[in-house]
Amino acid sequence: MSLYEAVAAVANPAPAPGKVQFLGQDGIYWRLLSRGALLLILTLGIYRFWLATDVRRFLWGNTGIAGDHLEYTGTATEILIGFLIAIAILLPINIMLFLAALDLGLIGQLSGAIAFGLLALLGQFAIYRARRYRLSRTVFRSVRFYQTGSASVFALYALMWWTLTALTLGLVYPWMQKSLERFKMRHTHYGNLTGHFEASALALFLRGFPLWLFSVGPQFGGIAAAIYAIDWPPLAEAVNAGGSGLAERIEATNPGYVNAIIFLIGAAAWSAVAAAAFYPAFQGMILRWWISGIRFGDLTVISHLRIGHLYRAYFRFLLYGLVFATGCAIAGGILLGVIDAVKVRFNLTEADELIGAASVMIGYMILMLGYSTIYQATVKLTLWRVGMESAEISGIAVLDHVKAGGRPASSVGEGLADALNVGGF
Amino acid sequence: MTSGTGIFFDGNSSARQDVTVELQATTLVVRSREGEQLAQWPYGELDQAESPDQILRLSRRGSLARLEIRDHAFATAIDEMALTIDHTGTVQNRLRTKVAVLLVVAVASIGAMALFALPALATRLTPLMPFAIERKLGQAVDAQLRNSLRSRAANTPLECGEAENAKAGRAALSLLIGRLEAAASLPVPLRAGVLRRAEANAIALPGGQIYVFEGLIAKAETPDELAGVIAHEIGHVARRDGVKSVLETAGLSFLFGMVFGDFVGGGAIVVAAKTVLQSSYSRDAETASDAYGVALMNMIGGNAEALGALLARIDDLHGKGASLLRDHPETATRVVAIRSLAKPGSGRPLLDSAQWTALKNICVEH
Repeated sequence: MSLYEAVAAVANPAPAPGKVQFLGQDGIYWRLLSRGALLLILTLGIYRFWLATDVRRFLWGNTGIAGDHLEYTGTATEILIGFLIAIAILLPINIMLFLAALDLGLIGQLSGAIAFGLLALLGQFAIYRARRYRLSRTVFRSVRFYQTGSASVFALYALMWWTLTALTLGLVYPWMQKSLERFKMRHTHYGNLTGHFEASALALFLRGFPLWLFSVGPQFGGIAAAIYAIDWPPLAEAVNAGGSGLAERIEATNPGYVNAIIFLIGAAAWSAVAAAAFYPAFQGMILRWWISGIRFGDLTVISHLRIGHLYRAYFRFLLYGLVFATGCAIAGGILLGVIDAVKVRFNLTEADELIGAASVMIGYMILMLGYSTIYQATVKLTLWRVGMESAEISGIAVLDHVKAGGRPASSVGEGLADALNVGGF
Repeated sequence: MTSGTGIFFDGNSSARQDVTVELQATTLVVRSREGEQLAQWPYGELDQAESPDQILRLSRRGSLARLEIRDHAFATAIDEMALTIDHTGTVQNRLRTKVAVLLVVAVASIGAMALFALPALATRLTPLMPFAIERKLGQAVDAQLRNSLRSRAANTPLECGEAENAKAGRAALSLLIGRLEAAASLPVPLRAGVLRRAEANAIALPGGQIYVFEGLIAKAETPDELAGVIAHEIGHVARRDGVKSVLETAGLSFLFGMVFGDFVGGGAIVVAAKTVLQSSYSRDAETASDAYGVALMNMIGGNAEALGALLARIDDLHGKGASLLRDHPETATRVVAIRSLAKPGSGRPLLDSAQWTALKNICVEH
């Protein structure tokens, strides 16, 4: 090896075949997010388009597949314009829904349901279109990704699946995920390479079922116990009697009533705690399953994601959150003390209510935004990092000779997703 | 002439090509290892694409072809040749600061618009709203209002004056309102009712419905005081404040909720901005209605100052709050404004004492 070759080898490290690496440094990401949070407050949220673009640039740009890095080519101005167009589309819809709600007849009665259905449909439409935008702004080795397929069909399809999932209390969730992912991946292209999705919904179901049983199952127990404990006919009479003192009357006729309520509350509390405790495991399970299903032509991916990473990320979130809350409490206490002193000094007694309202508002905003920032810098970043680094790609040679194709897609979908609050990254 | 190595992607395929890069006087030339020229990019058209820190990724404006330089010294050499390349990120940071400053200025200016332009716009739009919509809006508000007020008194009707013995009271109320309405020449017919509520209050709904609360009639010492309040409410009807407030609320919800405040924790900004701005709009509407009510009372020869006296009496019961958050102006200010506008009346009460007694007893059931 000549000296020149040796230097070149160090400068251009040989791409590790089949490995995905993430080079992003926590410190830089923290700085990016904190500056973003501050500017969000100062601009009442308009900075979100710039922040989202920065975040994507950071995540994409630091993700290397076989030694080459992804690139996000979208711009903030682009999604701001997309958002403005989306608002122009949504405004007449909102006005129509408002007028429908004024109707005293059947339309007015149904207006809530109509609005919910319409916005849910539009939300799914936006999710698909936003994905199209983001994919077409993702470039790898000078070739862009892109997405085809009808967003309206996807929206109908997704709404149908979500309804089914809700009706089965989440039991068909794996089949929904598989079906929707297949739709998305079938219409996802990297140049002339078309994607597809191959995963077993049954496998996900079998893995997820114990979690479901632990968190949703007790609800059935609670409801069954409540039904058993309540003496129904007197309860119906008590409710039908009308007037005040309903609770007393129910209690008088139904000695088991208090027990039933305790069962129900207990079951709900159990479910909430179990759901929170299992959520990282659930999230990791889905992520691993999803990554392992990705295919592009002959390229296959398998994920070796370890759930422990996610629990560690959530633990860090809770820890940093605690430190942040303590810091806020101390700073807030000092600040209020100073304000109080100023108030007494200048005799500003009338400002009390105003100061109270303003401090609640500002405190709430700082706390929420702080937590969101910590969440993104711990959990979200970890999801991205371990998701990427857990992937092992086989058949990577197909990536060497992909012909370019596709065009940049419009940013209106991204704007719609923002306006409807269904955005992803 | 400086040269170095790089990795080139030509934008047509994903093939990775090891290349030599020559920095010529005005252009950068990319050659394959075999010496074939693959690209020639003028420095002025170079852009820097996002990449990890140790890689300089270049593109020619508008094209997807990429040239990656991983040798730091060579990257610096290119940075020096091309003004548009910003290896250290200084230009990027400066641009971002500029964007942030511009955004803050834009937000401040839109905020000022919300304070001044939005109510002005609502005022212009209100006359264009069809009365049919206003009436529907009124009916919807009425149904909601009755629902929220009914719960307390389940066995007595919410509306007073339905009993046989309240006939005289009802007639007195109609007489009083009839005189005011005749003078007002409203675009919609008035409908008035008395609600069995202890609060000293009266409200005007969109579409011409006015409700006077029992508590207000109890607090009023003369028919002219009550007439003053009703004249004030007629002011809301005449100016179609209900519709205007819906338009203002819709505009605010659009600005604060859709455009602004759409971030985690931004809900606080939305609530605060809506409260402060809506209170400000409402204070303006109240002031205008006071003026209208006084003018109406002047027209029918009533005691226009009586409204001020009643307001002052009611206000003694309420505490003081932060002026920014109140939806009515300070009572003292209102009373002064009312006095300055009021002309001396005929001196005769608008109802005789028998009629007034009947009206005072409109909510009494036997």
